Amino acid sequence: MNKPAKTSLVGRPAPLVDGIEKVTGKAKFTGDLNTHDALVGRILRSPVSHGHILGIDTTHAEALDGVEAVITGKDCDKTYGVIPIAMNEYPMARDRVRYRGEPVAAVAARDAETAAKALDLIELDIEELTACYTPTESRAADAPRLHDNKPGNLEREVHHTFGSTTDGFVEADLIREETFDCAEINHAQMEPHAALAEYDAERDRLTLHSVTQVPFYVHLTLARCLDMDSSKIQVVKPFVGGGFGARTETLNFEIVTALLAHRTGGKVMMQLSREETFLTHRGRPNTQVKLKIGLAKTGKITAVDCEVLMSGGAYAGYGLVTILYAGALLQGLYDITNIKYDGYRVYTNHPPCGAMRGHGTVDVRHSFEAILDRMARDLNLDPFTVRRANLLQAPMFTSNGLMVNSYGLDECLDKVEHASDWAKRKGKLGKGHGLGMACSHYVSGAAKPVHWTGEPHAVVSMKLDFDGGITVFTGASDIGQGSSTVVALAAAEVIGIDLARIRIVANDSVVTPKDNGSYSSRVTFMVGNAAIEAARAMRAKLIDAAAELLDTDPDSVKCEGESFFVQGSSQSELGFHEVAIAALAKEGTINVKGTFTTPVEAQGGKHRGGAVGSTMGFSYAAQVVEVSVDEDTGQISVDQVWAALDCGFAINPLAVEGQIEGSVWMGMAQGLCEETNYLRGLPTHTNLTDYRFPTIEDSPPIDVQIVESIDPLGPFGAKEAGEGALSGFPPALANAVADAIGLDANFLPLTPDRVLEALIKLRRAKRRKEANT
Amino acid sequence: MKRIVSLKINGKTVDDVVPDNSLLMDFLRDKQGLTGTKKGCDGGECGACTVLINGHPRLACITLTASCEDQKIETIEGQSKSGRLSALQRAFHENLGAQCGFCTPGMIMAAEALLRKTPNPDIDQIKTALGGNLCRCTGYTKIIKSVQAAAMSGARQ
Amino acid sequence: MTEALPQFTLVRPETLDDALIALQATPDAALSAGGTDLIVRLRKSLVGSDTLIDLTGIKAMNSIDPNENGLRIGAGVTLDQIEHSDLIAQTYPAVVKAAASVAGPSHRQVATLGGNLCLDTRCVYLNQSHWWRKANDFCLKYQGDTCHVAPKGNRCRAAFSGDLAPALLVHDAEVEIAGPTGFRREPLGDLYVEDGATHLTLEPGEILVAVNLPASIRTSDYEKIRVRKTVDFPLAGVAVACDTSQEPPRLWVAVTGTNSRPFLLDPPDDPMLSPADEAFFIALQKQVQKAVSPQRTTMIAPHYRRLSVAALAVRLARRIL
Repeated sequence: MNKPAKTSLVGRPAPLVDGIEKVTGKAKFTGDLNTHDALVGRILRSPVSHGHILGIDTTHAEALDGVEAVITGKDCDKTYGVIPIAMNEYPMARDRVRYRGEPVAAVAARDAETAAKALDLIELDIEELTACYTPTESRAADAPRLHDNKPGNLEREVHHTFGSTTDGFVEADLIREETFDCAEINHAQMEPHAALAEYDAERDRLTLHSVTQVPFYVHLTLARCLDMDSSKIQVVKPFVGGGFGARTETLNFEIVTALLAHRTGGKVMMQLSREETFLTHRGRPNTQVKLKIGLAKTGKITAVDCEVLMSGGAYAGYGLVTILYAGALLQGLYDITNIKYDGYRVYTNHPPCGAMRGHGTVDVRHSFEAILDRMARDLNLDPFTVRRANLLQAPMFTSNGLMVNSYGLDECLDKVEHASDWAKRKGKLGKGHGLGMACSHYVSGAAKPVHWTGEPHAVVSMKLDFDGGITVFTGASDIGQGSSTVVALAAAEVIGIDLARIRIVANDSVVTPKDNGSYSSRVTFMVGNAAIEAARAMRAKLIDAAAELLDTDPDSVKCEGESFFVQGSSQSELGFHEVAIAALAKEGTINVKGTFTTPVEAQGGKHRGGAVGSTMGFSYAAQVVEVSVDEDTGQISVDQVWAALDCGFAINPLAVEGQIEGSVWMGMAQGLCEETNYLRGLPTHTNLTDYRFPTIEDSPPIDVQIVESIDPLGPFGAKEAGEGALSGFPPALANAVADAIGLDANFLPLTPDRVLEALIKLRRAKRRKEANT
Repeated sequence: MKRIVSLKINGKTVDDVVPDNSLLMDFLRDKQGLTGTKKGCDGGECGACTVLINGHPRLACITLTASCEDQKIETIEGQSKSGRLSALQRAFHENLGAQCGFCTPGMIMAAEALLRKTPNPDIDQIKTALGGNLCRCTGYTKIIKSVQAAAMSGARQ
Repeated sequence: MTEALPQFTLVRPETLDDALIALQATPDAALSAGGTDLIVRLRKSLVGSDTLIDLTGIKAMNSIDPNENGLRIGAGVTLDQIEHSDLIAQTYPAVVKAAASVAGPSHRQVATLGGNLCLDTRCVYLNQSHWWRKANDFCLKYQGDTCHVAPKGNRCRAAFSGDLAPALLVHDAEVEIAGPTGFRREPLGDLYVEDGATHLTLEPGEILVAVNLPASIRTSDYEKIRVRKTVDFPLAGVAVACDTSQEPPRLWVAVTGTNSRPFLLDPPDDPMLSPADEAFFIALQKQVQKAVSPQRTTMIAPHYRRLSVAALAVRLARRIL
């Protein structure tokens, strides 16, 4: 739908509809729920990376006064996993443990002290097996097999070719090939994991409150793992303290908490420590990218050949989607005809990886944009020129079948080039200072959900009742990104009423319609469209009633600012209550709903795995990063960022800005300093002192510009805004460092030690070269 | 060991029997129901539990309740008066200083300590004062803007 | 609450004498001041004591007093007080800079000078949860018998990472120690030995009560290597002081974060080198690289810490010479 000619609410900055709770401390996160009558749940975790469980003796723990339940892998023989064809994880390990920190048993006790004692009393008998910590170890001929059905520990391989890379490289004037190594990272959302489960044994009903981004998937998994009818289960999502993908699949502790509640016939609160939250992982995998690009003299890309190797951790999780995304989203940003992709996702004895903001795309985009910059340098072209030589012409389909209906990258490039004063400043900032740029994009919702049911992708329902209030019911998970606010704004805008009249009820499976969840930036596009449709239905009911009162044809009645009137008529206006009462008089409480279904043409190519990466619309971003580099210590300071993002249309510009700033910053965090580390499978980063994400003192000003390309299918023309800018930062950073000190870094993150080591190597190489000439 | 501890929490005197190993964070959250003070880490890493003790920013997660005898504790719940937002709360709300909201109470309390001492802080002073408060959503830009806006509104009053 | 601190008894003496008596009664008691490190270690079950003696109530330890010899800073003075003390800033600028660089502002509100000087050594194999350490068979410093950093060695390699010590060392600080038999004073450097498991020379029953700084005409500075600009412990830190009234000017250099103790190192003493010469700085850089011995106690490579701390030393020396 096109942008409305005149809007009263959408397109204007709006504070979050649930913001007051957050600033007053009244917002109840899962760990804040009243637990005076709850037992304390705790999880016992594997001390070894890989082993056969020979026995778990729980007798002493069970005998301890105050212990209400002790459960182990024996108590649940159902696998789980977010991808229906790749469910290979148990809530607590059975027979085999595959990473240090994997749950093996759990207790529910009257208090924390007793629970801790009980954990100590559980005796584990595990026969240790050889572990694989790197893809090289996993792929070795004599490597132990982590999963019996996966030879070579290969979870999934992908081989896609579109066009002819042979022809493309022949056409090229310049070919460059490089290899990049990008460290594994974690979401490190501020709220540690927690779940509260209550089981009503008389009615056989289970209620779970959890930190999830995907209550619907959690619901299905609980039904499966507890062998319960799904109608007996209620899942509620309270306030959630960030997700970034950490919670886009059901997590082991959620099932374990439910199992404990089920066993005790009561209420169990499970609050994971920060360490355990890290152990649950699901972050971005260590990714090795081998990338070859061919360019014509003009900067036009003639061919791309990309091989990606991901170290996925011990279980499948989202793995196959991650490795597919990495290849699929090589496209959709630039015009590329000839492209070959080979992806390998490998099992290792580390906590399982999963989806993280910019799922699958970030490390590949980093490599791509870094090489492109170096090739621009080789061709003596400006980095902006090279990007401009490869722009898409929307509407179009990419060679791998991705639909592009709107495209604002050109405008993004213009904006950041101008704002950063690029032409005057690039290459002229003096030694140790530099500018770098890069582009990026991301999907506005996966066109095919992982649980394909044939249902609409999103449903929003709405109620008008005697009080004149309009309640909007949505299953969309607001995790801080402002999705409830988007739904409220869309509803109020379409009906033509004040925002204050809308109340949002979200994420209670008993009350709200099913929603797939908050991931792949799907909510604004899908739920936003469903909200618009529901609001239109509500509006139609009100207009009909108003038309009767005004004795006119519904088509001539308008509603703006809560007043119903006939355009151009001198007839008196009707107030909202008056019309609402008339509408209710006809049928009583009014319930309407709206849905959104992805058009078939948006669902990707016909090739195997073609659905991943497909979407209704891509967001586009360009950014320029300015850095200072200390060549003595390798320390990098990011001084300023200019970012522009095409989000189609900013329904709430305040939240869009916030999302751009947050994603740019998170890209900076990955680029500068984030990494997980393990010592023989023991993670050393499991606290917020050693998992170093930037503090306020490390964080630069971010100049944000919003580009509105008005997507034909987007709600009011909107697309996603929360992920697209992330993957542009790390390469813009690397490119700025190259500009500052002449170092082409092929690693992430650019920590001081890595930068200094690379600088020393570079200096040595230079000296050798000088000596030889 | 347990002892009776008398504290003033958000202006109200509270006498309670607490064990020596009670952390102020747990005391506030579990015994007083003041769950606005957040637990984001395993001790002293993130700043989400920042409260004011005698007007100074302190981390409730590494403070023993017993060591707070006779001290004035202020939490996020004490910020608003008669149900109306404080200047900082309003500024954080209106400027989107809070996205997920989990770091927000600690952030606001740390900013409150700053503004009492330095009513018109510059950006560097804001950054120094909030240096120990981590946020994962905002990139901090709108947090800085929120503190500046609160300072401005304070200056107008 | 799903995590409980271990049980302990908290003792809160109001005088130094009472503290010493309490310490006599429970010799294995842990001394607590700001608790910014101790409580974290308690939460990780890294403290073997079931008594905590909280020293913050002892008023005599909480003041900064100028005297005829220089300045006496009580061990209970907070880092925030030091950071904002004009008295200290005027004469001992490195000390103020070091204090301001510790952790975050809320930590500095309560973290004390004494606590920072007596800060326990740190190591990636040590500062972990009980589950983690147990899965790794514990370590030489606590509950185990192998140092995972140097398994063939016979001592603990955990690194000292207090920021204040080097800044005080370059100003010839002395520590004042109270014990069962009275007071003693010694150079700050003597408070430490190169052993991560027992890096302090305090005898049982002794309490560090103050630091004495002699009057100084030295200029000084402190900087540390870390990944982030705040919060982080130093991967390595260096303080440099200089007396430019002498000809040639004299330099003092002290480091932290690289060894199990902070220490003063000898600047280049080649009489042929003038501190103004480039050769002097090259010599200084080499000297620092040689003197420090960072180990794999952090995930950041020892080699990096060695190179960067030397580079920082040169930078500070250039700045103040």
